[in-house]
Amino acid sequence: MMDKLKLAVFELTDCGGCALNILFLYEKLFDLLEFYEITEFHMATSLSEGSHYDVALVTGTVSSQRDLALLKEARNHSDYLIALGTCATHGSVQASVEGSIREKLKRVYGDEGNPMRALDSKPVVEYVAVDFALPGCPYDKNEVYQVLMDIAKGIEPVKKDYPVCVECKLNEYECVLVKKGLPCLGPITYGGCNAACIRSGLGCIGCRGPLPGEVNPASEYEILKDLGYDDDYILRKFKTFARWEP
Amino acid sequence: MIIELREFTRVEGNGKAEIVVENGEVKDVRLKIVEGPRFFELLTLGRHYYDVPDLEARICAICYLSHSVASVLGIEKAFGVEVSEEIQLLRELGLIGELLESHALHLYLLVAPDVFGYPDAIRMATKHGELVKEGLALKAFGNSIRELIGGREIHGINVKPGGFGRYPTVEELENIERESGALLRLARRAVRLFASLEPYGEKAGHFVATDGYLWGDKLISDEDGSFHYTERIEERSLVYSFAKQSRYKGEPFFVGALPRLLLKAEMLTPTAKRLFEEHREKLATGYVSYNNLAQAIELVYALERAGEIAKKLLDKGIKGENVPVEVKEGEGIGYVEAPRGVLIHHYRIDSGGKIAYSNIITPTALNHAMMEASLFKEARKLYGETDETVLVQRLEETVRAFDPCISCSVHIVKL
Repeated sequence: MMDKLKLAVFELTDCGGCALNILFLYEKLFDLLEFYEITEFHMATSLSEGSHYDVALVTGTVSSQRDLALLKEARNHSDYLIALGTCATHGSVQASVEGSIREKLKRVYGDEGNPMRALDSKPVVEYVAVDFALPGCPYDKNEVYQVLMDIAKGIEPVKKDYPVCVECKLNEYECVLVKKGLPCLGPITYGGCNAACIRSGLGCIGCRGPLPGEVNPASEYEILKDLGYDDDYILRKFKTFARWEP
Repeated sequence: MIIELREFTRVEGNGKAEIVVENGEVKDVRLKIVEGPRFFELLTLGRHYYDVPDLEARICAICYLSHSVASVLGIEKAFGVEVSEEIQLLRELGLIGELLESHALHLYLLVAPDVFGYPDAIRMATKHGELVKEGLALKAFGNSIRELIGGREIHGINVKPGGFGRYPTVEELENIERESGALLRLARRAVRLFASLEPYGEKAGHFVATDGYLWGDKLISDEDGSFHYTERIEERSLVYSFAKQSRYKGEPFFVGALPRLLLKAEMLTPTAKRLFEEHREKLATGYVSYNNLAQAIELVYALERAGEIAKKLLDKGIKGENVPVEVKEGEGIGYVEAPRGVLIHHYRIDSGGKIAYSNIITPTALNHAMMEASLFKEARKLYGETDETVLVQRLEETVRAFDPCISCSVHIVKL
């Protein structure tokens, strides 16, 4: 029997959801463990025995010197590094808070200093080269399962190339943007969540970040303007998960 | 001399501790939250109220729904919105799902490996596969409720001011009624397991909870009367932590499953109440490590209550009507019992519906001082008596008993 691949999960600063979502795979997690051995995953195990990883999953943003050191450690010791979740790929909500780190610390902690060496939150991809980026707040757990299985079988995982609207149509959900006038970022957001928010009858909040390529943010902007949403509201909505300036 | 412990494992988020030793005696313990700051209150300032619960959900994945509901309650209070019994019951059901998911994660995957001497549940499964499976079954059921009410297992957006995006169907509620009854047996077994453990850590001096079982209008404590957090709880910044520390009338206090049971036992469901009575003497000693046992009893409560709620909704029939929300200037506080304790969302909203002030205090921040006190006591007792590996392991277990959620605790603000 071939050796199992060494898998690591590194958590930088985030809500814990991207690491937790791996545990939510349940039986599928045990299927993965046929191919992988977990050697670093501090939410789930007290063991920490790796010095080299075949695959490293990194979640969260770089928000402190500690995060940066951990990220470099992960990059230097892994063959295949996946930026997992929108914090790691785009910065997500915490990177959209405006102002310099010094100013923010002062407003929150009332202190001029920065003894814990905090940094402005930025996505992993701004600091190191990654082999695969899988966004989502949280990402779809079946997607990470597929990606890890592909890697284990020596196949380069496929990147999705369509907006959320495609999955919405496949599910035959009613268009909340056109029919209800709700603010929905589905037309310009990277698909892969199976249109989770539209299933609830609510608008897509753009948690997977903008679809690169041929989307038309200007048109989305015009639609929302026509529905009566003001500039400030629309721009904040665009910026929230991906610091996206259309 | 300072003994630096490595970062805690099998807890949510990133934290560690250091022990200060002088002349062979433990002088101080510092609990350091090293997770970076996330500035959630700043994020919500100037935002339209409608989008805020979805953003606040992102504070924490393990208890996102508690954050959504606390946020919605704060907003509704500010606008003077009153929702129907149906909406209230569905919110409660969602919180119950979260309680099941979170307690099962904590007890079976994070704490049980300590009980049986394994580094994690995956390795524990080779010998105790049944137990791990039972934990995962409870967790999966909790998550399915959370997905039904919240819209997604993690960070759903279905809970809104005035109601929901989508309401559950009759069939979905029937499933909940059926499955919650079937799983009760597993939860009772968890109570037996965790009742057998010896206590450790510190005894809590004060307990604080919300006045209803899973949420409330005010807080209660082991002293008389209900109160708003601003009246008795104070926060301060620490140079060595991104989390602020809270004190109740100047002293460390405890929030979580054990305080809930001790302060609100009369609100429990029949079997949970019986189990509480059976173990009351133990629980009443106030050792924080009995929080594990309290969580196990709450698994029973949650399953029984989920069945009750599903039945009630099925008997009455689901109407699925949202309450209209009228924007006006106002201030409101939402108090929710997140699985690991009291969670506070406090907002002021301007006449245009935008957030003008926001303060969020999470359970781990409320417990921070108590956690330090508990570590200090344990370190004092064990330092010099055992080798460092055992000491470190016991300190980790002490922290784990609080079921800390470190990611949540790092953006505690007074503006």
